[in-house]
Amino acid sequence: MLALAVTKRLPGFTLAVEWRAAEPVVALFGPSGAGKTLTLQCLSGLLRPDSGRIVLNERVFFDGAAGVNLPPPARRLGYVFQGYALFPHLTVAENIAFGLKGLPRGRRLERTAAVIDRLGLGGLERRYPRELSGGQQQRVALGRALAVDPDLLLLDEPLSALDAPLRRQLREELGHTLREWGKAAVLVTHDLEEAYQLADRIVVYESGRVLQAAPKSELLWQPTSAEVARLIGIRNLLHGTVVKATPEIVQLEWRGQTLEAVNSPSRSFLPRPGTGLTFFVRPEYARLIRKDRSGPDPGRHMNMMEGEIVSELDQGTTWLLFFRLSAPGPPSQGTYDLEIEVPKLVYEILEIDRDRHWQLSVHRGSIQVLPA
Amino acid sequence: MDLFPLALSLQVALTATAFTLLLGIPLAWLLARRRFPGRDLLEAVVVLPLILPPTVLGYYLLLIIGARGPVGRALAAVGVELAFTWRAAVVAACVGSIALLIKAAQAGFETVDQRLEQAARTLGRSEWSVFWSVTLPLAWRAVLAGTVLAFCRALGEFGITLMVAGSIPGRTQTLPLAIYDRVQANQMGEANALALIAIALVALLVFGVSRLARLRF
Repeated sequence: MLALAVTKRLPGFTLAVEWRAAEPVVALFGPSGAGKTLTLQCLSGLLRPDSGRIVLNERVFFDGAAGVNLPPPARRLGYVFQGYALFPHLTVAENIAFGLKGLPRGRRLERTAAVIDRLGLGGLERRYPRELSGGQQQRVALGRALAVDPDLLLLDEPLSALDAPLRRQLREELGHTLREWGKAAVLVTHDLEEAYQLADRIVVYESGRVLQAAPKSELLWQPTSAEVARLIGIRNLLHGTVVKATPEIVQLEWRGQTLEAVNSPSRSFLPRPGTGLTFFVRPEYARLIRKDRSGPDPGRHMNMMEGEIVSELDQGTTWLLFFRLSAPGPPSQGTYDLEIEVPKLVYEILEIDRDRHWQLSVHRGSIQVLPA
Repeated sequence: MDLFPLALSLQVALTATAFTLLLGIPLAWLLARRRFPGRDLLEAVVVLPLILPPTVLGYYLLLIIGARGPVGRALAAVGVELAFTWRAAVVAACVGSIALLIKAAQAGFETVDQRLEQAARTLGRSEWSVFWSVTLPLAWRAVLAGTVLAFCRALGEFGITLMVAGSIPGRTQTLPLAIYDRVQANQMGEANALALIAIALVALLVFGVSRLARLRF
C-alpha cells in the first residue's frame, strides 16, 4: 500500500498531488511537465517536498508535519532513471553491484551473478554501457535497481529511449520482469498504451495536479472529466442536452437526434432535464448498417443516425471515417460530427470507397456520459 | 652552477600543489554542486588571484602572515616562522595557482550528469562515497589538467613570492627569482641555463601528462 500526498513549490511550477494505491503497479500518466518525475523524486527522497506525507506499507518516508524525511538509502527503493543513468566508467557487472557495497565480497559477487543470469545479461559482464544496445542498457538499469532487493521500483519513462519495434518488445519484457520478480512499481509514462499494459492503476497528471486515479479499465471507460477524456485521447467528445435521466439511462439531445446512453450504476448521476452534458462515442463502437441485409431492426439497432462520409484516413490496418449527419445545422466537430474507425476488411467488404451514404447505430452501452 | 633554486622550486611547487588539491577540490565541488548564500562572492574571490597584480596580492598576504600580522603572530606563538622562509613561498605559490585548479575542477564536476550522482544516492551511497565513486572518476581528467596547470603556475610564481618570501640565496630564492637575480648581476650564461631548465621542466610535464592521460588543456 502506497499513499502519497505532497506539495512542492518550484519557480514557475507547483506540484500538489495526492493519491494512494493498493495495486502492485501504478502508472503516473500525463503530458511532459505535469509533475510525474517530480513526484518520483519526492518518493525517492532525492527531493524534499514542502509538505505532505509519503507512506509505503506503514513505513513513513516523509511526514512534513512530524519532520520525518528518510534519506534515499533508508527508503530501500530501486530507481530506474529516464535514459537509465548507467555509470559510464563502470562495467555491466560493476554497475549492477554498485548498490551492494555493504555486503561481504562473496555475497556481493554471488548476488551480482544471480541478477545478471536472471536478466539474461550473461556474457556482457565486462562490457561498458556505451557498448550495449538500448535494450541491454535497460536491462542493466533494471538489474542495478533490482540487485538491492528494493521494496518498490521507480521507473521513469523506462521505454522512451527506444525506437518503436524494440519498445513494444521491451514493454512485454518489462511487464514480465515486474511480475516475475514480484516487485511493486511506480511507472512514469506519457504513453497511455504503456501505462495500460504495465500498470494496474493509473494516476492521471496535469499541470502539477492529479485529475483522476483509478483502476486502469475504469479510467478508460469512465473518465471523470472532459480533461481526462482529452488526455487519454478519447475522440468524439461531444456536448448534448439532457432530456431525461434515470439511474439506468440518460436520454440526451444532440444535433437533432435523441440518443440513449446507459447511466453508470456506480455513479447514479441524475442531471436535470435541459442541462448541458458532455459525452463520448468511441470511434470503433459506431456500427455501419449493412445495406445488403434486411432493413434495420429497432431491437438490435439503437441510436440510429444517417449521414455522409465526408473524408477518410487510411491508418494501415484500419480506416478512419469522418461522418457528417444529414440533420440540418453545423457539424459538431468542424466539418464532421463523428469519427468512425473500421477495420480494413470491413472497409473493403462494404465498399466504403464507392458508397458514401450510410446509416449507423451506436449501442447505448457505448455512449459514455461524463459527470459535469 | 648552483642548482639549489631548482630543488627549492620543485619542493615549493610540490608542497603547494598538495595543499592546493586539499583545499581546491572541496571548493570546486562546492561551487559546482551546491547553492548557498555567498556562492557568487566565493566564485569571484576564487578568481581574484588571477587578475590582481601579484605585488598587490603579495602586499596583503604579507600584512596577514608577516611578523606583525594576525596569522604571523599566531604562528610565532607556537614557534613557527612563516614570512621570508620557504614556507611563505609555498603559501605564495598556493595563492597564485589555486584558481587554476578550482576553475578546471569545477568545470569538470559540472559536466558530470547529476542523475548519475542521484542514481548512486538511491543505491545507498553517502555523499562522500558518491564523490569518490562517481563524480571524481568521471571528472578526473579535468582535475588532473587543473593540477598540472596549477603545478606549473606554482613553479613559475614570482611576484607574490618576492613580496612574502624575499629572494634570499640558499634559503628562499626559487628558480624564477634566481633567473631575475642572475640577469640583474649580468650573469647571462647562468640565467640562460636556469631558464632552459624551467622551460624543459614545464614542457616535459605538460606534454608527458597530456600524452599519458590524453588530456586537453
